[in-house]
Amino acid sequence: MTPYHSIMPISVKGLSVSYDRKRVLTNIFLEIPKSTVCGVVGPNGAGKSTLFKAILGLITTNSGTVKIHGQEIDDVRNRIAYVPQKDDVDWTFPATVEDVVLMGRYPHKKILQRLDKTDHALANKAMEDLSIHDLKNRQIGELSGGQQQRVFIARALAQQADIFLLDEPFVGVDMMTEEKIIDILTRLREEEKTVLVVHHDLSTVESYFDHVVLLNQRLIAFGETESTYTRENISIAFGAQLDILHKSGIEKS
Amino acid sequence: MLELFEQLSAPWALRAIITSSMVGITCGVLGSFIVLRNMSLIGDALAHAILPGIFVAFLIVGYNVVGFFVGSVLAGLMTAFGITWIQQYAQTKNDAAIGIVFTCMFAIGVMGISKISQRGVHLDLTDFLFGEALGISDVDICMTAGVMIFVLLSVFIFYRYLFITTFQQTIAKTMGINVKTVHYFLMFLLSFAVVSALSSVGVILVVAMLITPSSTALLLANRLKNVIIISAILGLLSANIGMLISIIFDTNPGPAMAVTATAIYLLVVFLSPSKGLIFRYFRKLASRRTIEQEDILRQAIKQGAAVPLATEKIGLKLGMSSTKLETHLSKMLKSDILRQENNKIYLSQAGAHKANQLMRAHRLWESYLVSSMGMNDNEIHDEADRLEHHLSKEILDEVDASLGYPEIDPHGSPIPKKQTIMLHEAALNRNYIIIKDQISDEIDSALWELGILPHTNFKVQRKTSGSIDLLYLNKRIRLKRDLAEKIKIQ
Repeated sequence: MTPYHSIMPISVKGLSVSYDRKRVLTNIFLEIPKSTVCGVVGPNGAGKSTLFKAILGLITTNSGTVKIHGQEIDDVRNRIAYVPQKDDVDWTFPATVEDVVLMGRYPHKKILQRLDKTDHALANKAMEDLSIHDLKNRQIGELSGGQQQRVFIARALAQQADIFLLDEPFVGVDMMTEEKIIDILTRLREEEKTVLVVHHDLSTVESYFDHVVLLNQRLIAFGETESTYTRENISIAFGAQLDILHKSGIEKS
Repeated sequence: MLELFEQLSAPWALRAIITSSMVGITCGVLGSFIVLRNMSLIGDALAHAILPGIFVAFLIVGYNVVGFFVGSVLAGLMTAFGITWIQQYAQTKNDAAIGIVFTCMFAIGVMGISKISQRGVHLDLTDFLFGEALGISDVDICMTAGVMIFVLLSVFIFYRYLFITTFQQTIAKTMGINVKTVHYFLMFLLSFAVVSALSSVGVILVVAMLITPSSTALLLANRLKNVIIISAILGLLSANIGMLISIIFDTNPGPAMAVTATAIYLLVVFLSPSKGLIFRYFRKLASRRTIEQEDILRQAIKQGAAVPLATEKIGLKLGMSSTKLETHLSKMLKSDILRQENNKIYLSQAGAHKANQLMRAHRLWESYLVSSMGMNDNEIHDEADRLEHHLSKEILDEVDASLGYPEIDPHGSPIPKKQTIMLHEAALNRNYIIIKDQISDEIDSALWELGILPHTNFKVQRKTSGSIDLLYLNKRIRLKRDLAEKIKIQ
């Protein structure tokens, strides 16, 4: 019997995933509301990216269910946008900034439909929002790390989704880009969207996210950052790796 | 000459030229996807594997071009499935799996076709292997045309799907695109293309028509649409020139086309403006010139910015011939790094700035090597000498910060502070960056409107009394001089 799912943007019930008999996620329950920028935090190998892949329906799960707005992922694919890690991209590929941003419009098109004026206008708007409009004809490999990240976030914006999954968007980007991305995420929250961000810089969690998921193969804690991101929960999540906490200067009583 | 013309206008020659042109276009277009998906070897495999299809078709329907076509496409698809199956279930390495399947198919085809031709049927194995200009029938032309139209239409209609699954499979999946279906559809098109190339190129060398023109195109264009168009044109060109060579010298067309395609490829490898080896060589020369000029600058600043340069001394110190030194000096005068007064040479303001930066790079790097890498004082000078020319401004700032902004280097010499100058003081044709903290918000927004981002290299190309021309990201931007006087650069 399928468990009861709310119509929350993302609803995960009893999710377990393993690769080659090695458990990566065990019995995860999550209800992510709208109007949130939620951090997903945990040590290496905690299953953060796997959780994303399970939500996106990219991998087979051992047990559990994932519902998006109370529906199957396959029925609502155009409402969910994914920004993968930067090193998962072939930067030598012959594609320009504009080509990539326009891809955000693909899920809205039927098989024989061509991209039209509205699609180009939305792509242009997204490029302007991220200040990469001047770079639109450049091949993606010619950009700096920060500009590359902006391209993929612009693609997600052009998709006009209401759920955004970003995997480590702040890795290898300059300060200006980091500020820009935070601005965009804040705007998305105001527009009542749901934003999930895999993040590893523990010192910025409190300032960037209103909700936080602490993960280490099991769900350690989930809730509003203020009440969830406590020293106790962090040490449960990170366990032996706790010394990073000292390095990153987290002091919370 | 007239004889050649007559020969080329013979019906069989025209048929050969038309067919090979269409094959060139088809393979060029599909090849772009094959190369970008790292499937060159699969393309080769499919081509070899169609031979048993011909053999089996002959056993069933006899000598029939349409029969051959259907048999070949089926054999091609079987191969594609076979390879994927072995890769998934037998846990054999990918390229080995491809090798196992296609050599086996090819071997069966060769055995079968040789057996048939021994029975006195006109089926010549070499024609299948290397193509035969003489043997192209009207039915062949129609089939090739049909395949070309089908392939072009498919690529046009399903361009989005092909593009995104080739670029980012994962993203394609999240968008609900069935990546496997697209893969097999492409295999299907590929079998079609290979079969249509059978009569003109032959199975062994059709892979050259698939991968060589598109690899060439990838060196020339940076968006997929253009890659496909250029690749099609190059395919057309290679096929035509190849076919002409084969007619004139009476040889098999396949090898002639493959050699032509490769010749074009090599030409581009050496001559391409951005990625070509020759241009890269010149860029290397230019960077060596810059390094030598920077060495001169460092010697000059040691002598002092206010006194005229003792040029012979610099030449001696750097071991540079006087002619070479003269050339460098006159170039540096032209680009405003040095200035001349009463026949004496001085450092200009821009030159002094550059020289100070070099000094800063050198001494900071020395400090870094000693304090962070634990090298000793005697080892560091040469190392810093080499690297001072290549350290970017951002790296230097970072080194500076991580060392806690040291004042003196390990030898006790003062490290120059980071300096900024105004844009109108910049030397010509040198790399500078706009720094992030400008004097006012108006300057920030003026730069923003011009599309100039901080921390991106630009060069000053021309200065006049009213305006300054920048080269920024391959674009020319003209600034009013009074604005330039307020922009801080480094």
